[in-house]
Amino acid sequence: MLRFIARRTLLAVPSLLGLLIITFVMIRLVPADPAAALAGDNATPEQVAQIRAQYGLDQPLPVQFLKYLSDVARFDFGDSVYSSRPVAIDIVQRLPATLELTFAALFLATALGIPLGVVAALNHNRWPDFVLRIVSIGGVALATFWIAIMFQLLFAMKLDWLPLRGRSSVGISFAGGPTGFLMLDALLKGRLDVFWDAFRHLVLPALTLSLGGIATITRFTRAGVLDTMQKDFVTYERAVGYPHRRLVWVYVLRNSVVASVTQIGLLFGSLIAGAVVVESIFDWPGLGSYTVNAILTADFKVMLAVTLLVGVIYAAVNILTDIVHGLIDPRLRDQA
Amino acid sequence: MTLTRREAGVLSIAALIAATAGAKAATPGVMVRSDNQPLNLDPHQVFDVPMMGYSLNAYDTLYRYLDNPPKLTPWIAESHTSSEDGLIWDFKIRPGVKFHDGSDLTAADVVWSFQRVLKIARAPAAAFRPILTAEQITAPDPSTVRFTLSRPYGPFLAAIPIVAIVNPRVLKANEKNDDWGASWLASNEAGSGAYKLDAASYAPNEKYEMNRWDGHWYGWKDNPKPVQKIASRTVKETSTGVLGLLNGSIDMTDSYLPTDQVEQISASKVARVEKNVSARTFIIRMNNSKAPFDNINARKCFAHAFNYKGFIEDILKGYAERDPTPMPTTLWGFPKDVKGYEYDLDKARDYFKKAMAEGAPMRRPIQIHIQNTLEQTNQAAQLFQSDLAQIGVNLRIVNDTWANMTTNTAKPETSPDMWVHWVSTYFADPENWVGQMYDSQFHGTWKASSWFKNAEVDELLRKARGLVKQEERAPLYEQATRLIVEQSPDIFIYNTVELKGVSNRLSTMRFCPVGSGTEMRWVQMTS
Amino acid sequence: MLILKKFAQDKSAVIGFAIVVAVVFIAVFGPWLAPYPQDATMSHLTRRLRPPSWAFPFGTDNLGRDILSRVILGARGALKVSLLVVGASMAIGVPLGLAAGYSRGWLSEAIMRVTDVFLALPQLILALALAQLMGPSLESAMIALVATYWPFFTRIVYAETRRLRASLFVDALEGLGASPTRIVFLHILPNAASPIIVRATIGLGFTILVAATLGFLGMGATPPDPDWGLAISQSRTFLPGAWWYATFPGLAILVTVLGFNLLGDGLRDIMDPRLRRSR
Repeated sequence: MLRFIARRTLLAVPSLLGLLIITFVMIRLVPADPAAALAGDNATPEQVAQIRAQYGLDQPLPVQFLKYLSDVARFDFGDSVYSSRPVAIDIVQRLPATLELTFAALFLATALGIPLGVVAALNHNRWPDFVLRIVSIGGVALATFWIAIMFQLLFAMKLDWLPLRGRSSVGISFAGGPTGFLMLDALLKGRLDVFWDAFRHLVLPALTLSLGGIATITRFTRAGVLDTMQKDFVTYERAVGYPHRRLVWVYVLRNSVVASVTQIGLLFGSLIAGAVVVESIFDWPGLGSYTVNAILTADFKVMLAVTLLVGVIYAAVNILTDIVHGLIDPRLRDQA
Repeated sequence: MTLTRREAGVLSIAALIAATAGAKAATPGVMVRSDNQPLNLDPHQVFDVPMMGYSLNAYDTLYRYLDNPPKLTPWIAESHTSSEDGLIWDFKIRPGVKFHDGSDLTAADVVWSFQRVLKIARAPAAAFRPILTAEQITAPDPSTVRFTLSRPYGPFLAAIPIVAIVNPRVLKANEKNDDWGASWLASNEAGSGAYKLDAASYAPNEKYEMNRWDGHWYGWKDNPKPVQKIASRTVKETSTGVLGLLNGSIDMTDSYLPTDQVEQISASKVARVEKNVSARTFIIRMNNSKAPFDNINARKCFAHAFNYKGFIEDILKGYAERDPTPMPTTLWGFPKDVKGYEYDLDKARDYFKKAMAEGAPMRRPIQIHIQNTLEQTNQAAQLFQSDLAQIGVNLRIVNDTWANMTTNTAKPETSPDMWVHWVSTYFADPENWVGQMYDSQFHGTWKASSWFKNAEVDELLRKARGLVKQEERAPLYEQATRLIVEQSPDIFIYNTVELKGVSNRLSTMRFCPVGSGTEMRWVQMTS
Repeated sequence: MLILKKFAQDKSAVIGFAIVVAVVFIAVFGPWLAPYPQDATMSHLTRRLRPPSWAFPFGTDNLGRDILSRVILGARGALKVSLLVVGASMAIGVPLGLAAGYSRGWLSEAIMRVTDVFLALPQLILALALAQLMGPSLESAMIALVATYWPFFTRIVYAETRRLRASLFVDALEGLGASPTRIVFLHILPNAASPIIVRATIGLGFTILVAATLGFLGMGATPPDPDWGLAISQSRTFLPGAWWYATFPGLAILVTVLGFNLLGDGLRDIMDPRLRRSR
């Protein structure tokens, strides 16, 4: 088993190297010249050339790439050509906001998806199952950007129940805390007002982001529960008159969520990518809005760093899932 | 059973959320701006409209533009003198001006600031590099700064207010790799302005906060109810900013308010729209180096096919002033007698035929590039597209970014066929518009991206640049502008009426086109 | 026959099928169905931002164009993009998957490693970056989508081919001296067809969604294209006043994608008993 894990992890190395090469070559070839934009509105061509030299943008691509590799090894992503700030610092500053949003969405997806899946399975082939099936397929069919705008329109603009944008209100002064997770920090420092404010800001983005996940988890839970319900022990327990509700919600569920758990792992990766759209609509100060902004302004160092980071998270989740599958089904071990 | 219990839970949470909604009363003394942020906070690295919104508050300048039309006013320089030949300029520094760290602002600091601009060689340097090197800036005594120009340069004084004076002592302490403190100043502040940056609050492209500084040299006697704190928030979607304005969580929007929002704000009791005729011209560029735009009849065909009146009156609801030239209507050097071109599809068809007869490929697909974050560029292009379709011109709209376009306009072959942009006031001098847009020596910069070349215009503009007196320069610029309009190198649409949503808590907004009315020290605020 | 009967019993699959047929119909006959077909390019400044009414059931947009007409006209573009993208992805992904699955050694390794690299990339971010690289336009968005979607087909076909490769009938064919090309295309591919069809159906819906997202972020379709994502993006400036402007194009996306997903789901049940949802 250890050999399998080691092999699987080693196999990721060429993938990651490929990832580095692809993203680097691709993004470095973006026609928008960061040097020209950097030089500003009234710049002369000579000024642009000077800036290009200053940032090493005039070196051959392989040289730039090798330099980039050695920088990445030291976790140095360079300075953003726009803000002149170290990209690594911006990422570290913004990562907690994205993680907070992603975890909240993951929590919502699990907390709603599992019960809904069980309800669908218990009503197998009756109308709640049918409705939930349409709804869960619809959840995957929703354009995130559209539902985000619809939520804004209804809950923030028309009803004025929830904030429209951002992560906290302006009037709130709060220095932040050790974790970077606003709600957690507020609790740690006993600031209930900040906590509540942060919570209200989180509701709409997290709900938007979670919809696809709710649908996915509902479907997997439903399938898992249906599977387990037909197992011998359930038939036996039923026959001896074990309380039905306890049987379903405790024993059947425990045996059927295993499949959903790997699904939740995979979901994490897709949520981080989905955050790109959600964050830019809700002005959420995380990595997603940072990425969209970088793409719109051709800030290639930021684009490289974020693509790499998300790629690594993807790869890690993939390895983890493969290992879990390997644990469950030993036959897969020699295939990897 | 389970379902209903969950439903009840969801409902009670919703009720709880609804109950606490509306608890967003504006905070006394804190003014919230929803505005774009500069790329970074160093005024010598970045120079654009969002930067002016920051630097006018954090930094002082030798002279400053105030009011509308902009008036050049002594600021930390009390006065200036210039030699008869226009080569030597002396500025007298006001005594008693202090930086935020408490140290005195001296002539040597001003010299160092200008040298830093030239050394860093970013945007604000362009106006000075042709006529000034670091050695040509000196301080003959502690209260005098002397500039010795290489040759006479008309726009020199007009460009003086674009250089912010920075504190060399603070920057030298934070210097690394001889960068003149550039990487530190990108997220910090070293100025003497009326407001002091709270550097801890700065998150790039998201927010920054500034606190009023009591020690500002101008004093605060003129303003009994100043804004105590400026909180700037980047709101990417204008409609979001407008809603914030209406519910009291935002006090001031940017100055690109879409006209469709004006009515909504005007109808509210808490906010209003400030309307100011500015100096910001809206233009559709044509690449004169490419067919069919190398043909004057083709260019006139396009100039007659834009629905100026429909665009200004129906889409902009009248909040713009038709401007048939590249010059702002309010500035000296604007030729009042120029008629320009009007919307007339029959005339456009005539010019179309003439151009075709001369071999211009009028039926080739033409690409117009718009700026994807600025909806108005898109609306103008779409309107143009539907009119051109009627006379048989196929216009294709390409979504583009500012960064991409300023790159592509470096060469005639990569410059788009057409593109849409504004020319804002960076300094209030005709040089900012016609001078840098149509003198062929600026080819390769975005401002000169129509690749227009006309010997007579070149000569007029160069002559005007070498003169110092406004009354001598004005007729030259007027004549050059007339010639340019006659040649129709671009499509000149309007001079902007800046629209800014403002909370009724704010008064005495002292609007100036330079900076779009974002200098906050004049603003009074009730709580 | 049995399959058709089973399909007819699956209510949601039938709904999906009906939606897909309707969307295809609208896409083909759009210009004849739309009340104002010229509104694809024409603007009417005097009737900007009108709320829904009998004359304009979905209201008008910021240039006075009928939104119902533009929603109808947008169907063709959405279908065209998704068909081209999924078709091109299959053309690349399926042969690669067959090659990787049938061969052993370095070729198989190389193909699957490259596939893994592409699968490890965040799809939306990669597509955005690629679209930016090639200059924002519908064509570059489509290339970007193909570049990020083909690996899914390679993965599926690879797994199926591997499974079939190990089965008795392939051994038998090899024993009879059949050429690898013949085995792969005449025997393995037809047997791997059902998961490919299922994936392609769902992929059609998925591509419409991602293409709309690219259009929304300004990296896809360009005006005056009546693209749904683009319309939603342009509508944001006019909220909350013009709620209809954002709402109807979004509903069009939802219904279309839902149709493909329901159909794909139903097909999966029928064609691939191992993935049956109602075991």
